[in-house]
Amino acid sequence: MSTKSAGQAVKAGYKNIRVMLAGEPAWVKAGYPTYANYGWVCRGNIVLIDLRSAEKDAAARIPRSVSMPFADFADNYDEIPIKAPVVLYSDKDEETTAAMKILHDNGYKKVSLVEGNFLGWKRVGGSLEKGPVVTDVRWKRILAEGEVSVAEFERALADPKVATILDVRTKAEVASGKFPSSQHIPLDELCKDMDQFVCKIRDLQKDEKIYIHCTTGARAEMAYKELKKRDFNAFYLVAEVDCKGNDCSIEE
Amino acid sequence: MKKTMTRFIPFFIMASFLVTGCNQNIKSTTTAAKPSVSTEAKKDQGPVYKGKVVGKSNKAKQISIEVGKDKDAKTVMVSFDDKTKGLEYAAAGEGAIIAYEMRDGVPFATVIKPKLATLPPGVTVITPTEVKTLIDSNKDFLLVDSRPGNRYSASHLPGAVSIPVCEMQELLQNLPKEKDKLLIFYCGGPT
Repeated sequence: MSTKSAGQAVKAGYKNIRVMLAGEPAWVKAGYPTYANYGWVCRGNIVLIDLRSAEKDAAARIPRSVSMPFADFADNYDEIPIKAPVVLYSDKDEETTAAMKILHDNGYKKVSLVEGNFLGWKRVGGSLEKGPVVTDVRWKRILAEGEVSVAEFERALADPKVATILDVRTKAEVASGKFPSSQHIPLDELCKDMDQFVCKIRDLQKDEKIYIHCTTGARAEMAYKELKKRDFNAFYLVAEVDCKGNDCSIEE
Repeated sequence: MKKTMTRFIPFFIMASFLVTGCNQNIKSTTTAAKPSVSTEAKKDQGPVYKGKVVGKSNKAKQISIEVGKDKDAKTVMVSFDDKTKGLEYAAAGEGAIIAYEMRDGVPFATVIKPKLATLPPGVTVITPTEVKTLIDSNKDFLLVDSRPGNRYSASHLPGAVSIPVCEMQELLQNLPKEKDKLLIFYCGGPT
C-alpha cells in the first residue's frame, strides 16, 4: 500500500519521498509507541485501561475505562485477553510507556496510547464520566465475516437441522475422536476433489449451512474460503477443539 | 546518493523479510535506483506461485495462496513438508513466491521466498529508527499511513495522517504544495 501511494506521489511530481517498508509492526517491534484516534477510544471494541490511581479514576475518567493502577499493573495485566486491542492512558507519560512495554513483552500485539495522554483527551474536550471504578475486563471478540459463534456451533451440534458440521482435520486427528454428528473431509482432499464435494457430504443442498471446524480455526478458515468461492453457505469456527472419542471440548 | 543507497542495502534485505500487507503491484519503470535483491527469484527453477498467502496450516501441511489478478485471481492449495525451505515466509497476509513441483498431481512447495516490494523510481527506504529520529527532532515532513482507515484509527505512528491507498484524489488534495517537502509513507507489515 505504501509503495503504491508513493508511486502516486511520484506521478504528482513530489521529489522527496521515502517509504518505511517495514511498516507499522516493525515500528511497534522497535518499542516505539502508536496512538489510537479519539473515535476509536470512544467506540472501538477495545480494552481501555486507566493507569492512574483508583481515586482519580473514580473522579473523572474516559468512558468505558477499566481501572488498573500502574503500581499493580504488572500483577494485573493478564486479566486483559491477549487478542484484545488495548488502549492505555495515564497522567504520567512514563507510566503509559512502561505499561506498553510490559504488554509488548508479554505478547500483546495491539497496544496503543491516547494521543496526548489523559491531559490531551481533556484538552480536546473528550467526554468524561465519574463514579465507582470498574475493574472487570469485559471484552468479547467481534466475529469476522464468515465466522460462526461457539454458541451457534453448539446449537448445530445439538440439532442437525441447523447446519452440517464439517470437520477438516487430518485422518490421524480424527482417529482419536470427532463430533458424532460431523462429516469428515480432510482439508487437502476437500480442495483436491471439490467437484466431488457435494457427493461426499450426504444430502447437502447448496443453500444449506455448513459449519466448518478444525483444531484452532486456521484450516477451517481456508476451507471456508474455498467453499465460499463455490457459493456454498459456509461458516467457520475459531476455537480450540479437542476430541477424545465422541467427547469434544470447544474453548474460545 | 550512492552512499545512502549502500547504507540501506542491508536494511532493505532485512526489510524484505518483514514486508507484507502492502500491495506490491507497483512496477518500477526504471531499474537504475532499485536494489538488486529481487533478482534471486530469477535463479529459481521450475514453476512458481506468486501472490498473497491466505493461510497456512501446520497440522494439514498446507498453504493457501492467492495468485493472479482481478478476474483471474484464484486461491491454490500447496502442500509442504519439513524439507520445504523458507516456511517462515508463508504467513497469512504476506506476499510470497512459492516454488513447487507436482507430486501425485498435487503441487508441493520446495522453496518459499518473500515477495519483495518494488519501489517507484527515486523513492528510498527509511527505517523505523530513522523515522523516530525525524519525529523527535521536529523535522518538517509529512508522515502518511496508507492502510485502511480502521487500521489507522486503532494504531498509528505519532503525527501520521491517514490517507488509505485507494483514495488517490484525497491523497493529492492532502499532500503539501511544496513538491520538495519530505513525504514518508508506511503501511502494515507482518501480522
